[in-house]
This record gives sequence, C-alpha cells and structure tokens, in this order.
Amino acid sequence: MKGNKLCSPQHIVAGEELGAGLSLKPEHLDDILALPVKKPSSHHNLWFEVHTENYFVAGGPRLNYLRAVRENYNLSFHGVGGSLGSDHQAMSAHTKRVKALIDEFQPTLVSEHAVWSKSEGKYFADLMPLPRTQDALQSLINGIDCYQSGIGRSILIENPSNYLDFISDMDEPQFLVEAAKRSGCGLLIDINNLYISSKNTGIDALNYLTQIPADLVGEIHIAGHDPDPALGQSLLIDSHAAAVAPPVWTLLEQALALFGHRPVLVERDANIPAFDELMSERQTAQDYLNQCELKKSLNAPYKELVR
Amino acid sequence: MSTHQYIDAFTRYLRSGDPSAMAHFCENASHIKRLAVYRNGFYKGCVDALTANFPMCEKKMGRESFRKMARLYVDHFPPEQGTLVGYGENFPDVVTDFMSGAALENKDTLELTVSKQSTAHLYVNLTDIAHLDYAWLMSLMSADSSEILTVEYVAQLMEQGNELTELSVKLNPSVLLLRVNDEAFAEWISLKTNSNDVLSTEFSTSNIVMLWRLQGAVQARSLSIAEVALMQALQGKSGSLGEAFDAALMLDENFEVSDAFTACLQNELLEIENI
Repeated sequence: MKGNKLCSPQHIVAGEELGAGLSLKPEHLDDILALPVKKPSSHHNLWFEVHTENYFVAGGPRLNYLRAVRENYNLSFHGVGGSLGSDHQAMSAHTKRVKALIDEFQPTLVSEHAVWSKSEGKYFADLMPLPRTQDALQSLINGIDCYQSGIGRSILIENPSNYLDFISDMDEPQFLVEAAKRSGCGLLIDINNLYISSKNTGIDALNYLTQIPADLVGEIHIAGHDPDPALGQSLLIDSHAAAVAPPVWTLLEQALALFGHRPVLVERDANIPAFDELMSERQTAQDYLNQCELKKSLNAPYKELVR
Repeated sequence: MSTHQYIDAFTRYLRSGDPSAMAHFCENASHIKRLAVYRNGFYKGCVDALTANFPMCEKKMGRESFRKMARLYVDHFPPEQGTLVGYGENFPDVVTDFMSGAALENKDTLELTVSKQSTAHLYVNLTDIAHLDYAWLMSLMSADSSEILTVEYVAQLMEQGNELTELSVKLNPSVLLLRVNDEAFAEWISLKTNSNDVLSTEFSTSNIVMLWRLQGAVQARSLSIAEVALMQALQGKSGSLGEAFDAALMLDENFEVSDAFTACLQNELLEIENI
C-alpha cells in the first residue's frame, strides 16, 4: 500500500486503551458474557483476539457469538492464513473476506504473520518460515502491500517461532523492521516465539528486543510452549497448549520496559483451561502492564536509561 | 537462492516428507530433521480440522483409525483456501473410494485395508455418515435468512385478505436436502445423541434427510416422498406456496397441507421472496 506509509505510530495509538487480552474461545462465551462490564472494574481494559479465518462463514451462531462479545469488548483480528510471503495472486479473495469482517466488527487491531503458508494453490495450514534474504524481504513487503490494500488499513506482522536457521542475509530484527518501514505496517512481537527461537537457534532474545524501534510495536503476544516429544528441551515447540513459562514472563517485563505500555495478549489454543484460570494468567499480564505504567509515571527517563 | 526456489523445495518437502531438496537452504545440516515440526504442524492442523468437521465419523471409527484416513485425505486433497473452516468437502467421496478399495495406493492405505478387514463393522454406513456430518456443518455455517416467513406475518397477510397460495417463498439458506439410507441416518442420530442402540425412527421411503438451522442449532429429520416434493419445489428458486403444495399433493393425495405449512413456519424454513 504505497500511499499508506506510517507517518506516526498509529498502531500504538490504536491499542493504547487496551490492557491485557485473551484468545477468544467458544467454550468461554457464557463466562465472558457474564463478566460485569457495565461498571468500571479490573476487566475494563480486557479485550479478545480471534483468528480471523475462523470467522470465514456466511452466517450462523459463530458470527453471532462474536457479535455478542463485540458489544462489550474490543477485538483484535489475528490472521493465520494470509501467506504474506508467497502466492500473492490468491490474496484478493482472502482479503475480501477479511475486509467484510473488519467492516462489520471494527477490530482495534489487525495482524498477520511474517511467514508463508500457500504455494502451488495449496494451503499448508501452518506458519512456514521465510529465509531472511533481500528477495524474501521484497516478497514479504509485496504481500503486506497486497493485504493492507485489500483491507484498507495497516496491519501488524508477527515474528515467527524458529526451529532451525535458514541461509540468510540479515538477522530477524533487521528483516522485520525493514519490512515494517517499507510497507507501513507495524510489528506484533510474540515474546514466546522469541524465547523459543532463542533456545532453538541460539540468538540473544534481549539483544533482539533492543533492535526493535518501540514506535513500530503495536501489540505483544505471550503463550505457553512445550518440549518436542522426540528431541526434548533441545527443541521447544510453540504449542499454545500450556501456561506461560517463567522465562517468558521475565522477557515480557523486559519488553515492556523497552517498548512501554502495549496491548498484551495471553494466547491459548489447546488444552484450554477453565476461563477463571485464563483470567488469572491474564491478570498477571495486566499486573506487568500496571507496573510498567507506574514506572513510567514515577520515573519518566526510565525508558531512556534502559535503552 | 530465490525465494521461489526455496518455497518450491519446502513445498516438495511438505508434500513428500523428503527433506533432501531443503538441505542447501539450511544453515546447520544436522538440524534438517527439525523441519518435521512444520510438516507435523501442517498435518495436525488439517487432521484436527477434519476431526472437528466429521465428528460422528470419528466417533464411529475411533480416533486412531479416523486420523489415519484423515491423513490420507490431506495427502490427496490438501486445503486450497487460507482457512480450514469447511475443509473436507471431498472427504465423503474418499471414504467411498476407500470402502470400495479404489485408488489411494500407499503404505497407509494397505495398513488401513488390513485393519478394515478385521473391523468391517466400523465402516458400514460410513460414507452416508460423512455426508451427514458435512451437511450438518454447512447448514450451521450457512447465511442467515433475509426475511423469515413467520406466523405473525402470515396472520397479517390473511387479515389483509391476501391469498396465501400466491405467496412467493423459498427455503431459507440453511435448509439442505441429502440422500442417505435410513439406517445410516438412524445411526448418525444415535451417535449424536450418545444412544447405545440405533434408534428406530419412522422411516420414509424417500431416503432424503432434511437439515436446517433453527435458533442457531442444526436440526435433522427424514422426509416423506410428498415432503421431498414440497421442499424441492421451494429449494433454490422462489415459487408460490400453492404450486409447492400441489407438487406434494400429486404424490400423496392425503398430504396434510395445513400441518406441513404450520411445521414450516414453526421451524422457520421459509423466507419471503416477494408478495
């Protein structure tokens, strides 16, 4: 979207009212609708994120429950099937459906992944890594352009979980920052993905974070991971099937110190616990955000010191 | 190295499981086996989606047998849209091919065939059950009706002196008619309701089941021949109520038009085309 370069950090402005959010799971609908949202409460800045493509339906209860949640909460649409890195000729049919949902639900945030998932007309239903080359960077930028043009607004792109290294011309922060600057998108920093990548490929997670300009970051994800069933702790898998691990919380605290207050999503996609349990985990994330705000108000130069 | 070459090689790996084409794209050759995470993720996502979309098939076959068949399906029909919603359109046909022993020649198929011989009962009615699962899903996700014909609206028309038989209506988008054998339908209902015995239902001779969505929940029932004629007259295109009921009466002169119309209204089956 050549005419939509960011002149100001609009991603941050869009999400500044959001606190810690949760993945929206149908099994939690009754619990969510029972929350006391009408009066100010600790949940007032709660928000929910959905995988956009799960709502590619013509009608029926799935859309109705999203409508019910939207009445009281802000939403984030997180795409998993856009394939920004490849197969862009099929993008318009995809973004047409995304745009229809955006037009109805007006999500606060819209995001996708810096990966590929489609090739030769097939969809591989997972987040496949791109090599960090100039050629792949251009392909990703073209994909972001197509996507943003298709939906008529800018997006955030998420750093992938890396399980091995591919031949590359640049490191991941360079790759993502360049993609963001040249396409006008922002970044969604997934702290769990970063932690996993650091363990699987030996990168320095904190050094990675310091290379990301704060004004590009519009959202943060945290989630649980699991060791590979065969290779154990030497290969961590981004399962979203467990509670957030202590080192990921620590890395979140460091990220918030660098970036300032950002919407933080606690992701959970498998082994879904009771809603209260997820809300408790979400409260921990909110406590980190509150702590970040407190430090900001008590010590304005704090960020500069950390940087 | 072009991105195109890289993605081509990765695609070949995902489809075949042979990582050799990816070797020169990986920085550390000893890590190449880690590519399996991506291939496993692809298959798991697709198989989980098929499990969600064909729940009674899975229940009938058992988890492991179902997942083997689902994996075969992914090999032959990988998704083509950037979503797994509705994935499995051809799954009932693959079940049919498998049942007839056609195609799908590979190691997994052979293992399944051996398994099939010892557990033949698991496969009786399976194709029809797959069709019913998919029709149920399609009905659930179908478009909402633009303007449902309600009892109140009919009463209003009658008060105004309108002739109901001239009312132009069609079936709402969630209504699907499906040809399956009665025994399979009874077994599918039994699986859905967790009944240990196959329910004895009042079978018709039409072998047509109608599925529709009412208040967000999908309903299903078998139809008589006259009911099939009625529904088919209203499906897809709009027609007058009078013509549709005439089609039913031609097949069954004792067809209870009033009861059928009331049932259509109560189940929100009809939407108004125009007056």
